[in-house]
Amino acid sequence: MDYIKQKRILLVDDEAALLEMVISILKNNGFQHIRTAETMKEAITVANDYKPEFAILDVMLPDGDGFALLKHLREMADYPVLFLTARGEDEDKFAGFDSGADDYLVKPFLPKELIFRIMAILRRSYKGENPKVNLNHCEIDFERAAVVKEGEDIPLTAKEFELLSALYRQAGRIVTIDALCEAAWGENPFGYENSLMAHIRRIREKIEENPSKPVSLLTVKGLGYKLIVEEH
Amino acid sequence: MKSELKSISKLSMRFLGLLMMSTVILAVLNLLFISIFAIKEGAGISPWQVAKDSAEAIQQENGSYTLSEEMKVKLKEEQAWAVLIDDTSGKVIWNSDDLPENIPKEYTLSDIASLTRGYMDGYPTFTGEAEDGLIVVGFPKDSYWKYMQPGWDYQFIKNIPITLLILVICNIALIFIIYMATNYKFLKSVGPIVEGIQYLPKKEMVNVKEKGALSELAANINQTSAILQSQQRMLKRKEEARSNWIAGVSHDIRTPLSMVMGYVGQLEEEDKLDQESRQKITVIRKQSEKMKQLIDDLNLASKLEYNMQPIHLKDENLVAAVREVAVEFMNIDLEGKYPVEWTADEQVSVCVIPADKSLLKRAISNLIQNCMNHNEDGCTIYLSIDIGESKCVISVEDNGIGATKEQIQHLNNTPHYMLGSNSSGELRHGLGLLIVKQIISSHGGEVVIEQSHYGGLAVRMVLPIAE
Repeated sequence: MDYIKQKRILLVDDEAALLEMVISILKNNGFQHIRTAETMKEAITVANDYKPEFAILDVMLPDGDGFALLKHLREMADYPVLFLTARGEDEDKFAGFDSGADDYLVKPFLPKELIFRIMAILRRSYKGENPKVNLNHCEIDFERAAVVKEGEDIPLTAKEFELLSALYRQAGRIVTIDALCEAAWGENPFGYENSLMAHIRRIREKIEENPSKPVSLLTVKGLGYKLIVEEH
Repeated sequence: MKSELKSISKLSMRFLGLLMMSTVILAVLNLLFISIFAIKEGAGISPWQVAKDSAEAIQQENGSYTLSEEMKVKLKEEQAWAVLIDDTSGKVIWNSDDLPENIPKEYTLSDIASLTRGYMDGYPTFTGEAEDGLIVVGFPKDSYWKYMQPGWDYQFIKNIPITLLILVICNIALIFIIYMATNYKFLKSVGPIVEGIQYLPKKEMVNVKEKGALSELAANINQTSAILQSQQRMLKRKEEARSNWIAGVSHDIRTPLSMVMGYVGQLEEEDKLDQESRQKITVIRKQSEKMKQLIDDLNLASKLEYNMQPIHLKDENLVAAVREVAVEFMNIDLEGKYPVEWTADEQVSVCVIPADKSLLKRAISNLIQNCMNHNEDGCTIYLSIDIGESKCVISVEDNGIGATKEQIQHLNNTPHYMLGSNSSGELRHGLGLLIVKQIISSHGGEVVIEQSHYGGLAVRMVLPIAE
């Protein structure tokens, strides 16, 4: 997990006090490299110099809006972006996603929520960099699409890989049945619930010590599943 | 457009009918009046009859003529004089006593013809045939107006019925033409006015041409329409202003509240806190979350109230939406005080209806939030979804403190608090639920609140399934 916390983060908000607070949240959660900017212009300068790997942007800036800033930043480099804004309207959210943001968090928010969102984005965007994820009884090697259990390599099928990736992006949180079906079978995944259960059973056989008493891949009855990742 | 033309033609037909009817009635009445008058005025004996009676009442006795006493009295009453002219000689062979002086004593045939047709020395004269001659009765001057027809063409008399009929038809046609000519302009100007009036309640802009006989009326309608339009604009602007104001305030509160929540959230996670401080901090965190909820609700409620929230209906799987909300709550339930249980049938996995997913999720999450707000000490929240043939029921229930029958009735029947005049304590209570009701009704469904068999409150959102 450490590699994610090493990412360079650009934080843009016109409110100095809010910047300070977000920095403290990030630092408390182990993030090391953070630079801030209060205007669009400053943000572009900082980005040029700092080469961030992740950005948290406010939508309303004194010299432009965050959507325009995102466009500028994307012209320089492609890295994940989270909008953090007081504008909570659906249209604004759509505009945010349309402009290519990875996520959109409306103020006010709890620190925990922010960290979860950031972790999910970073895991998705940089999963290739640290392909090994530790579970209770094994290790998932995403690069090789395999489970390493007691020194033994167990290959994952394509669907199992997709499902584990989706669960890992939200590690520690429940992922709904529908979201998992969508991850494995695409849009409007109706009627795949039985297939999903079959795949989950097979994944458990690969990652759990005792598949009938799972400790890493938990079922939340009727709703979804949760992957528990061991942090070092 | 069609309907007002119809109503106008109906109106004018009725008017025309009325006109025709009154003409006929008037003609009949006049005829009646004239005949009654004529009968009444002509009640006395006709002068021809007097002459005829006189002729019969004259009698010859020993070469001299006498008139019966009865007839003499009658002639006196009429102030009339009479002469008897001999058939062969043309001489007067008898005359009444009061014969005016300048009445001649001898008559030629042309004199007879003349007096028969007209007057003698200004006296209207009438004749009657007696046994030996002609009785001429002269009435006082200016007592009768005499006029003898010069004779009629036979064809004319023969054709009188048809002529009369044609005359009547011509009269009716004439009346119709006069009516149409005078009313054409009137009708023409009535049309747009009627149309304008019919458009007024539709709140559309009305512009009637201010021309013709009813231009003043048209101007009034245009003014009314303009006033309505401007009032509507004002109202809309007011509503927008109010909604924008609420949006602005809630936006401005978001940033400071972020600071509170951000720091409180961090403090809560610190290890070195003593029990008491941790409890206090938890209270602050919870209250600030409530504020966040309140801001969101306030903004959305005002937008829904003033129809400023666009509703994007798309085919959505309700089951997925309910699951998403449930999982969002479970993922942030830090203390595990509010476990969520999915109690829907295992077979239930798909229920697709046209819906605005983010609004529906909002409704569900408001209900879950309500369970949490009313059960500070924690409760289990039961979520389920039932799919019937024509409707789909999403239930949010809990095993918490619940509510009394009266309270439930109140919750079911309370009108929008925004519309109500009651500004007392109930105000804050209903906001979350109000939004749920607004959202569900915008999906054509209804909200039912009742006792849950789990012990607490049950809120069921009943949504129709389209064919």
